[in-house]
Amino acid sequence: MKTGQASADVQGKKKNVGQSIPRKEDLALLTGTARFIDDIQLPGMVYAKILRSSSAHARIRVDTSRAAKMPGVLGTLAGPELVGKVKPWGDLMQDLLVGDHFPFGIDKVVYEGQEIAAVVATTKYQALDALEAIEVAYEPLPVLVDVEAAIKPDAPLIQEGINYEFGEGNIFDRYRVRIGDIEKAEQEADLIVRQRFTTNRQAGAALDPHGCVASYDSFTGVLTLYSSTQSTFMVRDGIADALQIARNKVRVIAPEVGAGFGSKVQMFAHEVIACIFSMRLGRPVHLILSRADIFRSGTARNGQIRHAELFLTKDGRIIGYRDYVIQNCGASSFWGNQVVHIGTNVGLLPYPIPNIHIDGDIAHTNTAPGGALRGFGIPQIIWAKEQLVDMAAVALGMDPLEVRHINTIKRNECPLRTPIGQQVDSTSMDECLLKAAEAIGWAHKRANRSPYEGVGLAISMKYTSCRHPSFDTDLSAIRLRLETDGTVTIFSSDVSHGQGHATFLSQIVSDVLGVGIEKITLAPADTANAPFGLGTYASRAAALLGTACRTAAERLREKIVAIAAHVLEADPQDLETGFDRVYVRGLSDSGLYMENLATFSAYRTHQLPPGFEPTLEAVATYDTPTEREAPDGSGNFSVTYAAAAHAAHVRVDPTTGQITILDYAMAHDTGVVINPLIVEGQHQGGFLMGIGMALGEDYVYDSQGHMLNASFASYQAPQAGDMPELTKIYEIPAPSLTIPGGQKGAGESGTGPVPAAVGNAIADAIGVRFTALPITPDRVLMALREKERSTVKMFRYPDDMPDFAGPREPSAWPKPTAGEGGIFL
Amino acid sequence: MTPFSFHQPRDLQDVLKLLAEGSAPVKVIAGGQSLLLAMKERSARPARLVSISALAAMKGIRFNAAGELEVGAATTYAALAKAKLTGWHAEIAAVCGNLADISVRSMGTIGGAACLAEPRFDIPALLTVADAVMHVASAVGERSLPPREFFNTRGGTHLHATELLTHITFPRVDALSTLAFEKFRFRVFDAAIVTAACAIRLTGDRQVSAVTLVVGAVDLAPSTATATAQSLVGRQIAGIQAGEVAKLVAAEVLPPANRTDHHRRYQAELVISLMSKALARSGATKAEN
Repeated sequence: MKTGQASADVQGKKKNVGQSIPRKEDLALLTGTARFIDDIQLPGMVYAKILRSSSAHARIRVDTSRAAKMPGVLGTLAGPELVGKVKPWGDLMQDLLVGDHFPFGIDKVVYEGQEIAAVVATTKYQALDALEAIEVAYEPLPVLVDVEAAIKPDAPLIQEGINYEFGEGNIFDRYRVRIGDIEKAEQEADLIVRQRFTTNRQAGAALDPHGCVASYDSFTGVLTLYSSTQSTFMVRDGIADALQIARNKVRVIAPEVGAGFGSKVQMFAHEVIACIFSMRLGRPVHLILSRADIFRSGTARNGQIRHAELFLTKDGRIIGYRDYVIQNCGASSFWGNQVVHIGTNVGLLPYPIPNIHIDGDIAHTNTAPGGALRGFGIPQIIWAKEQLVDMAAVALGMDPLEVRHINTIKRNECPLRTPIGQQVDSTSMDECLLKAAEAIGWAHKRANRSPYEGVGLAISMKYTSCRHPSFDTDLSAIRLRLETDGTVTIFSSDVSHGQGHATFLSQIVSDVLGVGIEKITLAPADTANAPFGLGTYASRAAALLGTACRTAAERLREKIVAIAAHVLEADPQDLETGFDRVYVRGLSDSGLYMENLATFSAYRTHQLPPGFEPTLEAVATYDTPTEREAPDGSGNFSVTYAAAAHAAHVRVDPTTGQITILDYAMAHDTGVVINPLIVEGQHQGGFLMGIGMALGEDYVYDSQGHMLNASFASYQAPQAGDMPELTKIYEIPAPSLTIPGGQKGAGESGTGPVPAAVGNAIADAIGVRFTALPITPDRVLMALREKERSTVKMFRYPDDMPDFAGPREPSAWPKPTAGEGGIFL
Repeated sequence: MTPFSFHQPRDLQDVLKLLAEGSAPVKVIAGGQSLLLAMKERSARPARLVSISALAAMKGIRFNAAGELEVGAATTYAALAKAKLTGWHAEIAAVCGNLADISVRSMGTIGGAACLAEPRFDIPALLTVADAVMHVASAVGERSLPPREFFNTRGGTHLHATELLTHITFPRVDALSTLAFEKFRFRVFDAAIVTAACAIRLTGDRQVSAVTLVVGAVDLAPSTATATAQSLVGRQIAGIQAGEVAKLVAAEVLPPANRTDHHRRYQAELVISLMSKALARSGATKAEN
């Protein structure tokens, strides 16, 4: 991609938006000078470490007395002493009923890796030594690893003493969609394809570990928390609520955050523990998690079982979708239920399906907590739905491309309200589909087949912001200040952790204000000086933060121009901004420098227009015109939707089961692309996570809930050397009509369709339909061998394996636990 | 990590003296690519760490008077990968250049891998198939061990805590006609799920006069398919069906009765695939597929 010239040239103003401007962030990252959480050193800082449960389900008694006497130990903590002192938490924001989170298990642990006790000591090695002196007596309880076992009425209870509003037993939430008339659709359908699909648990695997430094100032009573988080205000309000202290006495600052992917978008126990220690000692407390701790007690992608059915007419039109989802949210979950609600609703796109009937049971198991992860439920439903589309195409004797083409929303149909309520303001979905297919030579490869090779497609439309069912807000905010030397500072609480906020926000500000991009700086996310915002997740930065930024810049520009108009005795309408100046239109060599105007505003206030309120700051908040979820599951949760079409060409090695991606193309609608370099980076990274989900990653547990692959050595996340080179990335913009700049989010489009596209290509290659993820070489080879022994044309893995214990056919599928007359009436 | 003392003697005898003292748990550190990770996780807790990095004599590659390839135990994979070796010796360089990643290869050593004896690592199977000799020293003397006496079938090695592996000798280049080493892993960085290797000596008219067939990662020490190998002696190499022999090897090292789970069954399939490739590379008739 071309790199743009950032500064204005003599010919005229050059727009920064749309240019591949190298990221401002990269120098520090590439030279190793960026300061991550573990780099923070504060005077008098001491070190805390957490003892975690080695059992997945047990009653516990803990004794820290011996640890307290170990060399260098300054304090210990365990659950019982905090009862009544720390408020449990567990759902998005305060005042909701789910209180399944606490700094430590009190008398019971519900997953391996759960916090049991903590030690703070002068050095981290003393803290680790002292952890070994903590005595824990475990009384084992039955362990539930399998979610289908966990939702049985007689299953042992994991979370005790919590009354769920919509659930019971280990089911903590239920989900339901009723759109159109599914019975009628079933009668009218010429074809119904049905399959049970399961998905894997996937880690965020951010290289920068979860961790924090808490620093309590005994004199001011202000608790400052440096944390590797995606959301400073969510953590601030959570800490203040859990510790019952005033919110203006808690300050959360994010240092450089080495990625999150959703895994850092909530408050964690370690943050509360560090704060308690710091408040007790009056000293800064450093608490960084190990990789094994992050695997076991951080959050993972929620595993789903989908009993999915697609209803079609004989000409390939999709007229109905029915599904019963069982979601494994692990032992406790902050965002987990939202994943089913939002992922399912949005994941039904890009097909405006008229009849939809979905039930969901969202349940606990004795496994790692489920949370947000890139795609937030979308990859799971795409995995099921996009494979059903291929199964239908085969059954109808149609080209899978054609079935998709018939059913996608077209550009000229927009704005379109789908039956489930998405307000699709613009899209190039269908063009993306055709482009991706063409880019890998879809028709040619299908006509000229090679053994063990196949092609597959998958498409999606991703939310680019989100109004959550239990979180009725979707806002972001920016404050801008024109400094007295003509530079501009951007303040935002939405943490940049790889998305390039410092660069793309500067591009927007530079274009609006006419200030050189090199003069614009993003301040670190700090709740003490940034406006309130929700954080960086849900691909929301470009659309929402970008819009707030544009509005703030326009407001600031208005103020700057007002001063200039006064000084120049000109009509504000005749003034332009650019080249770091305000000038009379047509006279771009003259005018007043921003530096001078800002100086008037701060130090020479007699130069200001009468009544002008001094200093040049502007704040803007943007909350989207999105809707809350209706009782029938409908609603428009996202401000706009970003299309993704992926096409894969794979080869399977019949001697090892190895899968090679021979060719891959992705075409996206990211609306108006602010910075093509950043967007491509998002797609490349998203592709890697998609490949990981498709081909390698999973949390492997034994029957007792011990995670067997809690390290990067054994956890099968792809590394750079394992990745196919992705060069076929296309943008087909359909600018958003809702977002003033027309941009859409790019962060998750590269991930969601990957597993389904690869799964469809493998089915095309070897006649094995994978219904479970990940598709690893061992599974491929064993499926091939079993298929050779059987006579079926399309073999299903694992459904058709001799040792498969689950339901093989729809007649054996379980029914939703709520029933029609159940809790929703 | 837990506290330890660090020793870096310049003289082999000083290393052996430290090992002989035996007053506290002691570990030899070469490249540290496995040991340091274990220490970081506190699963290894040596009280004394004796580094052999200052012993120049333990690094490097040379041919001894007998024409054998002598490799210092502290020679890195990277050095071996770069070595200009001919004939079947080139396969040693190829194996060392195709494991883990460049940073591990730059620090990790062949001796360290031999002493760790991790079944999934390539080196134990390579040493076994090549019939290398491990030369071991201690304060009381020296001894030389062939692979079957060096690797313990119950895991690890038969080295005493007071002993140090100083160097490894591989047979002369004319001792074998071919050595072919194959492995499979999911990610480039991963240790192998199965390794399969064959070493063959042919007569002038391409008749098999000696053969060693080794499979790694299916047991705690490298597995040698002795019976299958014996059955090949005296046959024309081109007349050997690689796929058929590979099945016999699989049956010998991983009998069907032991293929009790998904992983074992997959390993058995890989033994067939990989041994078949190794034999085909050595001149046997290629398996179909």
